[in-house]
Amino acid sequence: MTSNGKPKVAFFDFACCEGCQLTVVDSLQTHLDLLEAVEIVQFREAISDRGEDYQIAFIEGSCTRQADEERLRKIRAQASVVVALGACAHTACVNALKNLHPLEDVRRWVYGDQAEWYDTYEARPISAVIEVDAIIPGCPIDREEFIRVVKALLLGKKPPLPDYPVCVECKLKENVCMFHIGKFCMGPVTRAGCGAICPTYGDGCEGCRGFIPAPNENAMKDVLADAGLTVEAIMARFTMFNTYLVSARKADGEERR
Amino acid sequence: MPKITISPVTRIEGHARITIHLNDAGEVAQSYFHVEQFRGFEKFCEGRLFYEMPQITPRTCGICPVSHHLASAKACDRIVGVRPTLTAHKLRELMHMGQLIQSHAMHFFELSGPDLLLGFDADPRIRNIAGLVQTHPDLAIKAVRARAFGQEIIRRLGGRKVHPIFAIPGGVNKPLEPADRDWLLGQIGEHIATAQMGLAIWKDWLEKNSAMVAEFAVFPSAYMGLVRDDGALELYEGTVRLIDADGNILDEFNPCDYLDYVGEHVEPYTYLKYPFYKKLGYPAGVYRVGPLGRLNVASHISTPLAQDEMKVWKSLNGGKPVEGSLFYHYARLIEFIYALERAQELLEDRDILRTDIASDGGTITGEGIGCLEAPRGTLFHHYWTDEHGIIRKVNLIVATGHNGWAMNHAVNLVAKRYVDGTKLTEGMLNRVEAAIRAYDPCLSCSTHAMGQMPLRIELYSARGELLETLEREA
Repeated sequence: MTSNGKPKVAFFDFACCEGCQLTVVDSLQTHLDLLEAVEIVQFREAISDRGEDYQIAFIEGSCTRQADEERLRKIRAQASVVVALGACAHTACVNALKNLHPLEDVRRWVYGDQAEWYDTYEARPISAVIEVDAIIPGCPIDREEFIRVVKALLLGKKPPLPDYPVCVECKLKENVCMFHIGKFCMGPVTRAGCGAICPTYGDGCEGCRGFIPAPNENAMKDVLADAGLTVEAIMARFTMFNTYLVSARKADGEERR
Repeated sequence: MPKITISPVTRIEGHARITIHLNDAGEVAQSYFHVEQFRGFEKFCEGRLFYEMPQITPRTCGICPVSHHLASAKACDRIVGVRPTLTAHKLRELMHMGQLIQSHAMHFFELSGPDLLLGFDADPRIRNIAGLVQTHPDLAIKAVRARAFGQEIIRRLGGRKVHPIFAIPGGVNKPLEPADRDWLLGQIGEHIATAQMGLAIWKDWLEKNSAMVAEFAVFPSAYMGLVRDDGALELYEGTVRLIDADGNILDEFNPCDYLDYVGEHVEPYTYLKYPFYKKLGYPAGVYRVGPLGRLNVASHISTPLAQDEMKVWKSLNGGKPVEGSLFYHYARLIEFIYALERAQELLEDRDILRTDIASDGGTITGEGIGCLEAPRGTLFHHYWTDEHGIIRKVNLIVATGHNGWAMNHAVNLVAKRYVDGTKLTEGMLNRVEAAIRAYDPCLSCSTHAMGQMPLRIELYSARGELLETLEREA
């Protein structure tokens, strides 16, 4: 805590597009009261100062290099609370698509003859390296959910995260089911909290918020097959945002969330 | 040749790195601007289904995701052999104007504004947006509102400001609601006034700094950008026009034929490939894109307020292309006004509320190219698929890539002009930073720092020894 009693907050980024930090900047502009309640000591996207004394760390981005692990552990050692900010930190997002290709191919493609200068390995969520206390899912994060999570953290509560699927919110929005209009949707197995934004705006859910606890994946695959998708297309649905999770499960045969 | 080491910080680098090499006399021999790009995306999109691309490719960048989203959808239209309905075409262009408005507003007011209003030599601790809020509170608020308006166009069409859900192969997902149309139309006047305020600031600054501007990274090159059939400025769909350093038209071509005209040159010191005009070869065929390139290739602008400024632009160099790097700022403001006026035209178009927003797909053609003018320049998305629509190969040429050569050249010119060869100074750093920033490269360095980009400059002796490093964190 600072002398004024405000918790110190820091933001960090790893491999990502920074869209979540931009969303944070936007949501803070309409929730100025929150800025009164905390002291931001590090936020590369918005301020120049860098403080190393903080209690709450928000981390955007995936771990893709050995050096990232060291940096993550350093943050973990300092912060009392570590929050995974957005899909890259939470599920490794589309970064993990590279894991579906031989790593050497990707590296050669990007860096050519100089590939050995670059230290890179499979993209992973930060929870693969350090313990994470809270998650703000989504690509990008939902503004209002960010505010809800921060308020809960400041009150010392466990941030609420829906454990029901997107379908629940989609019904409340009175949307016509995507499958009824010939589109494919991952809503039945995807964690809610986004307000079913993709179906509301006419696209099937892509699963960017990760899966609900204990999703019935096989039933979901049957639904997609009944709707006319090929095996490749079904796997594409499952892997756009969740490659890491799907691969990890396949690898060790146990659930990892 | 000194050893070059590059330490990637994030996916597109948190640091722009510049190396300056001296000759035996201690004078600047050559400088390089090093960049890595996000080409990994091209590789890992292989094996995906083509219709996922408008959602996957925007994830390269949270700053201008809309440009990738729309260019990708255009490529996908061709993969399924459909033309979007006229309504869908207009709605996509409207979203594109939202992107231009938010990006140009942010760049001019929040990134370059502190340099212009507070001065290149102002203390870096105040030469940022926070400093601007202190000295020009009214302007800062207006600038934030203008940027928010561009984002609001995107959100009202596509549900959110970052990674919208909107364009699909053959059209868009959702029509525009009348209430949203009315709300957006009601706001535009305020932001046109803000843009004109920006122009007044620029002109005042130009008058006071004309001597410096006239010698700051001014150099000839070819230029590239989209134009309409009548030669007017076009940002969403048109013909690619290339002109030479004197303003003569070198070529005009359909964007789908870009491979016949654009080659990519590889230099050992950067991972940015330098595109060039094939008929002239490299380096004779290097060109510049983005606001400066576009206003140089276009003969006029179709909207009245922007055209008034375009007349002034065309008179700057006696009808020939404008060459000074700092004139990117002027061109950006003229385009900012155009994007607002064009958004107004589209919103007032009675077709804009129609609900025929998507065409049915045809058969898979196996190839598709999408091209548009992103805020920073011409963007190409090119996909090849198998007969089931599974992506086999991807080629992306991004705006910052086209300008790679020009940024390197600008840095070289500024280094030769301002570095005395023995010592790096803060003033030197500021000017190099200004040269790069004029091009608004889509690196984290141009966008993160709100007035101060993370930058590392290395000074090497003729024998390749690292003499000095000047580093600045964001």
